[in-house]
Amino acid sequence: MSILASRDTRVVIIGGVAGLNAARRMAQFDFLVNRPLSVQAFVYPPEEGQQKEIYRGGELKNVPVYSSLEEALAENPGINTALIYIGANRAYTAAKEAIEAGSIKLVSMITEGVPEKDAKRLRKLANAKGKLFNGPSSIGIMSAGECRLGVIGGEFKNLKLCNLYRPGSFGVITKSGGLSNEAMWLCAQNGNGVTTAVAIGGDAYPGTDFVTYLEMFEKDPDTKAVVIVGEVGGTLEDEAAEWLAAEKRRIRLIATIGGTCQEVLPQGMKFGHAGAKEGKKGVGSARAKMNALRDAGALVPDTFGGLSKCIKQVYEELLADGSIKPEPEIDEALLPELPLKVQEIMKQGEVIVEPLIRTTISDDRGEEPRYVGYAASELCEKGYGIEDVLSLLWSKKLPSREESEIIKRIIMISADHGPAVSGAFGAIIGACAGIDLPQAVSAGMTMIGPRFGGAVTNAGKYFKYGVKEYPNDIAGFLSWMKQNVGPVPGIGHRVKSVKNPDKRVKYLVDYVKNHTSLHTPCLDYALEVEKITTSKKDNLILNVDGTIGCILVDLDFPEQSLNGFFVLARTIGMIGHWIDQTTQGSKLIRLYDYLINYAVKEEREVPEKK
Amino acid sequence: MAKILEGPAMKLFNKWGIPVPNYVVIMDPNRLEQLGEANKWLRESKLVVKAHEAIGGRFKLGLVKLGLNLEEAVAASREMIGREIGTAVIRQVIVAEMLEHDEEYYLCINGNRDGAEVLLSNRGGVDIEENWDTVRRLFIPIDENPSVERLTEFAGEAGFTGEIAERVGKIVSRLVLCFDNEDAQSIEINPLVIRKSDMRFAALDAVMNVDYDARFRHADWDFKPVSEIGRPFTEAELQIMEIDARIKGSVKFVEVPGGEVALLTAGGGASVFYSDAVVARGGTIANYAEYSGDPSDWAVEALTETVCALPNIKHIIVGGAIANFTDVKATFNGIINGFRESKSKGYLENVKIWVRRGGPNENQGLAAIRKLQDEGFDIHVYDRSMPMTDIVDLALNS
Repeated sequence: MSILASRDTRVVIIGGVAGLNAARRMAQFDFLVNRPLSVQAFVYPPEEGQQKEIYRGGELKNVPVYSSLEEALAENPGINTALIYIGANRAYTAAKEAIEAGSIKLVSMITEGVPEKDAKRLRKLANAKGKLFNGPSSIGIMSAGECRLGVIGGEFKNLKLCNLYRPGSFGVITKSGGLSNEAMWLCAQNGNGVTTAVAIGGDAYPGTDFVTYLEMFEKDPDTKAVVIVGEVGGTLEDEAAEWLAAEKRRIRLIATIGGTCQEVLPQGMKFGHAGAKEGKKGVGSARAKMNALRDAGALVPDTFGGLSKCIKQVYEELLADGSIKPEPEIDEALLPELPLKVQEIMKQGEVIVEPLIRTTISDDRGEEPRYVGYAASELCEKGYGIEDVLSLLWSKKLPSREESEIIKRIIMISADHGPAVSGAFGAIIGACAGIDLPQAVSAGMTMIGPRFGGAVTNAGKYFKYGVKEYPNDIAGFLSWMKQNVGPVPGIGHRVKSVKNPDKRVKYLVDYVKNHTSLHTPCLDYALEVEKITTSKKDNLILNVDGTIGCILVDLDFPEQSLNGFFVLARTIGMIGHWIDQTTQGSKLIRLYDYLINYAVKEEREVPEKK
Repeated sequence: MAKILEGPAMKLFNKWGIPVPNYVVIMDPNRLEQLGEANKWLRESKLVVKAHEAIGGRFKLGLVKLGLNLEEAVAASREMIGREIGTAVIRQVIVAEMLEHDEEYYLCINGNRDGAEVLLSNRGGVDIEENWDTVRRLFIPIDENPSVERLTEFAGEAGFTGEIAERVGKIVSRLVLCFDNEDAQSIEINPLVIRKSDMRFAALDAVMNVDYDARFRHADWDFKPVSEIGRPFTEAELQIMEIDARIKGSVKFVEVPGGEVALLTAGGGASVFYSDAVVARGGTIANYAEYSGDPSDWAVEALTETVCALPNIKHIIVGGAIANFTDVKATFNGIINGFRESKSKGYLENVKIWVRRGGPNENQGLAAIRKLQDEGFDIHVYDRSMPMTDIVDLALNS
């Protein structure tokens, strides 16, 4: 048996993230004692309609969030308890609604800093409705082996250490949350553990008091003794003493009271909980309360340190007079363990998980990214540039100074080619339509393909093939191409020709061949091919895609990476065009009719649908 | 709980129609001269000048001067402003009309668990303690404010008659309204005076406490609560309060000069029991400190450094119960950093540190703080198996 919370308790939590954390802790307890999930619903309007994921052991449950208590209760008629986890300025309204709801019997509030007037009103309302309002500032309620309300009891390991998986014989009532946990630990260490532990909160005017719960414990046959942890200020401990003295009680009472230090402190100096304030003329002093409780027949140690001994003494007396029958302890090894997360088990080396992806270039697990093992900042510090990072990530090699220069020039030369080409024009249309940078630039990017900038990879690939398979046989290569591929990628230009050469190609070829020591078999091969093709048709020159492709093959970049150079370089230009258009505030553009040949049917009537 | 000074209290009285004497609060004595030119009452009434600070026993300290004319009031203000009392400096004085009167009454309202209680006597003033048997009491359940008629009747029970009873009833009714609407916890008016020639009433002195937690619904509360520890707050206390106001959870700190055992304890309940344990074993505490509600590690670090800087301490008690949700590893991380920082600044010479704690991630937290032994700290670390306050015994017996 227990008081306040049992296996039949079903909970709605009113509040956001703090409430969710509490629900997760509560589910751990549900798992430990093998009961269904106690939390059935959340009320939190900002997250209406969401479902919160809560693990009960290894089982994943989804708990719905409602915008109103009314709705939550309508859909979950079993709910009989509400926990308030909402801010102090809204706590009153939330608790009032919960107290007024017919099916809810107990409302417990963790919120701190609630105005006293609000707490007084809630207490009055609860009394009038025959409900219980516990708190404010209550860490919660724990019924061992039955139900946990709030985060009381702490982490999973502690639930076991305090024997909370099964009921004992001690009730606990405290103002402080931390001391409720400490008291449960003491009851487990020096006795047989608790039936129920309640934290009433340390505010000046809590909704319930020691006597409320002493009455309940007195009626709970499984509770044989009650430990109360009180403190200076107010009259709740004195009322407990009066209750104890009023008639013969079944339960034994052990009490410890904090705040005796105030006797020696400078006058007026007070600290601790909001309610821990000694009144005028020593009213509510810790010493007066200790005396009152002692006179009433409670066991009251001089200090908190003496509490263990008192609990032990009472436990042994209760064992001796037969009130408590010793029961065999549950073997803790038989209690369930919280399932571990995959990462935790992997750390222990007990499970193998096949990776989903594999990377060979980049590692983000340290303090900073490493590219093929090199720390980015170290590359910066040692004078490396973007070309070197590009080489590392695309071909896993650090290029020589000379090679870097070539890469840099390729990118510089290909960065833009005016607004008229497909890529830039696409980005400009996007910019003029008012779309954002990434989308506008990708509009341009989608143009890159076989006819625009996308021939670098294939050019490199086939010239490399030619070097290998038809080393001294250009004619053979061209005929193989004609048969198997079609036009040679990297050869031919729409406007440029032998007489009107592409300056970019001239420059690159000259630079690589005359100003570097790079060995250029592929480029040389392509230039030989050009000689043949231009003899057939003037504009079948080695174009810029072909030139770049060949140089990159000569630099030993992987085939798959070659188009990347154009994509990367041209991105710089397309971003520039987007910025240019948006800074100018360019208007939406559309084609004029006269730029369109409307090769369409004459106007005609739509036939009836068959 | 928040005590407010007379000035703000008078302002709230005015708002709710409780008669107060004319008054001004000033920081600059020259301002008083100018106010004198603007206000007839300052020139023509007898005046009282009081230090407008949270200092107990002002009368004995010469911080209340009675029966002055304007010139004397300016001189008294000049003398008071800037005076140092202990660690506090007088920055403001309140100058009020000393209403000549015929009778002094006592009126008070105190909150209690079910509502409030009004106390009324027609024998108020400095002798109220001796006349305590004349005080009549009226309980007011929450949200059930009595009618003016009922309160006039109550005034009758307290010995008031005729028109005075009616006027007192009305004042009580306004006091109840003020108490209720301003989230007050207690208001004491002593004396409430009457000048019978023109039936003028005035609350000559007011002590008021309001519930500062309710400030979210009081747009016109332009005051800060004053210290309730019998002296103004120290610089270090104000710094911790400022951090406390910004974080999730809380950190608290009060200095107790002359103590040898410093507290760096967790939780509002446990911290008080640690203070008790020190006192019970004949030790002296150097401070009260508390961190709770899983505060950020930097806040705990700041609290730690503040505690380490306390003068002449011999022990630091890093105590706490078995936490429910305060992460021991994270909060201890703040404490460890605070200790290291303090040591590098030359603090913690010959200071012994005693640790006992449990709660989430207790093993990691305790292991981390235990490592401070290797860095030359005189630190003794215990887990949940050590009874909570026994580290105090160990410290004081060492």
